[in-house]
Amino acid sequence: MSERFKPPDTEESVACNLIPMIDIMFLLLLFFMLGADMSAKELEDVELPKADMVKEDEDTTVEGGPKRTNVNVFHVHNAKGYTCEVKEGGGVCRDMTHWAIAIRANHFTIETLGPELAELASLDPEESTGGPKGGKPLSRREIMIRGDRNAPYGYIQGVIEQCAAAGLYKIAVSAARPEGS
Amino acid sequence: MAGSQNQEENPVAINVVPMVDVIFCLCVFFMCSFKFKQIEGKFDSWLPRDKGLGDPNSLPNTLEELRVALFWDEKTSTVNRVLGSRRVKDDEELQKYIREGKADWERAGKPDTPVTIDGHKHVPWHEIVTVMNLCKRENIDTIEFAFGGGQ
Repeated sequence: MSERFKPPDTEESVACNLIPMIDIMFLLLLFFMLGADMSAKELEDVELPKADMVKEDEDTTVEGGPKRTNVNVFHVHNAKGYTCEVKEGGGVCRDMTHWAIAIRANHFTIETLGPELAELASLDPEESTGGPKGGKPLSRREIMIRGDRNAPYGYIQGVIEQCAAAGLYKIAVSAARPEGS
Repeated sequence: MAGSQNQEENPVAINVVPMVDVIFCLCVFFMCSFKFKQIEGKFDSWLPRDKGLGDPNSLPNTLEELRVALFWDEKTSTVNRVLGSRRVKDDEELQKYIREGKADWERAGKPDTPVTIDGHKHVPWHEIVTVMNLCKRENIDTIEFAFGGGQ
């Protein structure tokens, strides 16, 4: 057979260039790694109430500054796989045993929350000792209450009362900005 | 397949197939665990104040404060809101009353209008936050909570 009519070489490699794909994969990996929240579960999965006037949440955990603690109030139905017919039906669950308080993924009740808050308050005492009339010592630690939008107010009120009892007076309420605002 | 390069052209070619596999696995892991964060903000508030009122008929009609009472109707699972002695139908009306109350305070020479939120223990939390939001719309910063409302 003449060389002019030589059939194509079937052994010829058809390697695809992988470099651009690897570059994109690296970028994707970097994006997801940086976006992933690998810290201690400070924020529970809470459906926050919506409010358009909330001010931007600044990071108060600066070096040497007052610290902040997030107190999550949420329905345990979401967290522990319980079934709550009221919640499932889109209603407002008022069974107090279905609601829980969590600080750094540790669960508390209103009764057990007091000692924890007292301990947190003692970590960041105010410069001056005691209140205006020499009362209990105050703490400069800020408490951010992240309550589920349907949580009973009485339950969150209990949290606020425990904060007051522990000398934590800097209370902030967390809310989500409505989409598009 | 990945990495099938001509050994004659490049004798020190690296087999990238295992690396691509690992990156794929890592990508899938992080994509599955990724969750977009909700944009959150905060309202500063004050500590609980005095006793709740409990009864909608016993609300005072004085200019000591703007007190928004929220009552829970067990039968209909709805919230009834009262400002002073006026029942409120919706958010717009409540905001209007708050605006009027603030104007009264300012006419009385007191620019810092305090609003006390007095809610029943079964009132959903978002109703309280809605009242706080309406107060913020009217530039009211002194928002307090009543102790033991409607217990």
